Amino acid sequence: MGVERRLPIALRAHRAARDARLAAGVFLCACVLLVSGCASLWPQTAELREALPRGLPERVELEKVPFFPQLEYQCGPAALATALVSSGIKVTPNELVSQVYLPGRKGSLQVEMLAAARRHGRVSYELAPRFEDVLREVAAGTPVIVLQNLGLIDGWHYAVAVGYDYRRGELLLRSGETERKALSFTIHEMVWKRSGYWAMVAMPPGRIPATADEARWLAAIAALERADAKSARIAYANFLQRWPGNLNAAIGLANSHYELGELRKAEAVLRDAARRAPDSVIVLNNLAQTLADQGREDEALPFIERAAALGGRFEAAIEETRRTILQRIATKKR
Amino acid sequence: MKSVLARTISRLLVVLMIWSPYHMAQASMIGTDQVVSPASQLERSTVLNFVSRSDVSGQLQALGLDPATAGERIAAMTDEEVRSLAGHINALPAGGDTVGVLLLIIVVAAIWWVWRGGFR
Repeated sequence: MGVERRLPIALRAHRAARDARLAAGVFLCACVLLVSGCASLWPQTAELREALPRGLPERVELEKVPFFPQLEYQCGPAALATALVSSGIKVTPNELVSQVYLPGRKGSLQVEMLAAARRHGRVSYELAPRFEDVLREVAAGTPVIVLQNLGLIDGWHYAVAVGYDYRRGELLLRSGETERKALSFTIHEMVWKRSGYWAMVAMPPGRIPATADEARWLAAIAALERADAKSARIAYANFLQRWPGNLNAAIGLANSHYELGELRKAEAVLRDAARRAPDSVIVLNNLAQTLADQGREDEALPFIERAAALGGRFEAAIEETRRTILQRIATKKR
Repeated sequence: MKSVLARTISRLLVVLMIWSPYHMAQASMIGTDQVVSPASQLERSTVLNFVSRSDVSGQLQALGLDPATAGERIAAMTDEEVRSLAGHINALPAGGDTVGVLLLIIVVAAIWWVWRGGFR
């Protein structure tokens, strides 16, 4: 500064002009970079801009989805409560804190969001990483939890998409302390892309997501079976109405009947499956077990013998079933 | 070395004790989760899955949960989900922040404004 002050005025002016030119140059370069790079920064928005995906309305807003303003760091419980209440569960964010909030991380993990919804009898389904799928779910009446990164490094944040306006290019969200946040598709994609486009829905077992993929939806129901067999039973039955030929879903339905002690129903489902797929060792094993548990070991034996003869990756489990059945028969004869 | 081994074994025993009644009742039914998951995942033994569960439980407790709460949470996860957490809990995204929120939004909004303005 001291040196600067002693310089002739003409030289000072020259320097200022040079600095201004430099600033302008940097600014121009930044602009060019932004414009040329934009399509790759938000590829899905660019795609959406070309045309509204078929079958979607121009504007959707799920006004009845409740709003829970988040407490400090607790957007996880707030977002989950929004989705669960909207699906018909009576719950508050406060009750969900002990189910998803992790004090040491001051936040909630994705896996825990999925697992916690199951504890309330909902099927947690992770959407395919597509913007269009979020719009489709919202249009079908389902709020979608999305994970955004709003910070420079670690600003992970859950928000719930409850609508969109295609003309304006805006997504409507319940987010943090804002009940109705309108975020442009572009900005949403920029912050959402950083989570690998992570999005989930919490479905009542009687409904199937609009964008459900057969195999992944079935896996989502199987994951629920561990936490809530009753809800899983409803979801399997519903799944089989949509995809009646899916053998694994029939096995799942039978398993949830079995877990609930409904052995007759499990048997009926498995017998029907065995007619359609006589070589499924899983069906044969589970049918044999279900029969044996009803005290009908003699009926069970031919099924398990057949499964043992077929072999395959479940050999150990089948051998165990067979041994148990033979033991019980021997005990009865004594 | 000895204590690591002892700790692993005791953890294993605790988990086995907790799980064994459930496990035995189901022993001869082939579970749906086994049916719908890819064959490669089956190669990990049941015992290994139990160890992952007790591992994750320990990590959750280190981050402030009591053992019962941690156990309830893990019970609703699939084996695959548990494995995705094991050893990674501190690196995975944990949604909860609101402070950083404004920062990026402001930066993005500024860029956006400049970009739009630069065109007119």
